[in-house]
Amino acid sequence: MRPTHIEDYLVSLHTGQWFGWSDSKNKVYSNLIIHDSSKTKPTEQECIDGLAQLQADYDQAITDRETKKESAKTKLEALGLTTEEIKEAFGI
Amino acid sequence: MSKIEVDTIEPQSGTSLTLGASGDTITIPSGATLDGSSATLTGIGTATVNGITEADQWRVNTNFSNSVNGANEDITSNWERADTTDFEKIGTGLTESSGIFSFPSTGKYFISAHSWFYQTSATSGAHFKLFVTTDNSSYNERAQSIGGGDSDRPVSLKFNSIIDCTDTSNVKFKFVTNGGTYITWQCSTNSQKTGFNIIRLGDT
Repeated sequence: MRPTHIEDYLVSLHTGQWFGWSDSKNKVYSNLIIHDSSKTKPTEQECIDGLAQLQADYDQAITDRETKKESAKTKLEALGLTTEEIKEAFGI
Repeated sequence: MSKIEVDTIEPQSGTSLTLGASGDTITIPSGATLDGSSATLTGIGTATVNGITEADQWRVNTNFSNSVNGANEDITSNWERADTTDFEKIGTGLTESSGIFSFPSTGKYFISAHSWFYQTSATSGAHFKLFVTTDNSSYNERAQSIGGGDSDRPVSLKFNSIIDCTDTSNVKFKFVTNGGTYITWQCSTNSQKTGFNIIRLGDT
């Protein structure tokens, strides 16, 4: 699931229910509240940058997965397996 | 208005007797008892007579992760009553404090709960549980659902339960997750992602 909201970044910072929203219908940075006093409230820029990094990591992981699939398929074909056999046996 | 005083009304012929006509209102006065305990009543259910007196819907509005792997953790914050314009509770509704839910009146209540999570690592199992207390102190697990799977796969969990609330001061309930730090329990303020519905079925 590709991260789409700063909540995805906040969840990745600490575990548990350490944060919430003063207006749960409007989950923007200005409404971010911290339940756990031992945790520091990240800045808005940190949230923006953190979300962007999560998205980049996710996209890279997807790309790497597809690259590995294609690489495996190429190697299997080089061993003499047909496209149908590869798909049946490995689902790629 | 004339008044008829008789002890028994029976059909003049046959076995059918009709009171009033379509559109009429038949009134049973306050304090009177309509006793059908020895009769066969058709077309009248408990809900039709008494109505559903309590129905409520709650959910967690903010995603969260477990603090540790493999331990029970109460869902203590970010609970809200469903507040979209297409929902309205029936009756008084529940009250909630730090994830502990109290009943508005005694009775038998049906609970239908649901949650789903998304994990970044494979998990053999994560639990969503219902815990109930009858002494406002010690809680016991009364329902659970478990699911797991590969990484990057959503898992949906749900369970139903019935609680007999005989004392609103002492019978309460809470929800618990048991998963991992790599799990994100999915929540929303506009949709029932992690939450429950509750309906009062009848008296205790």
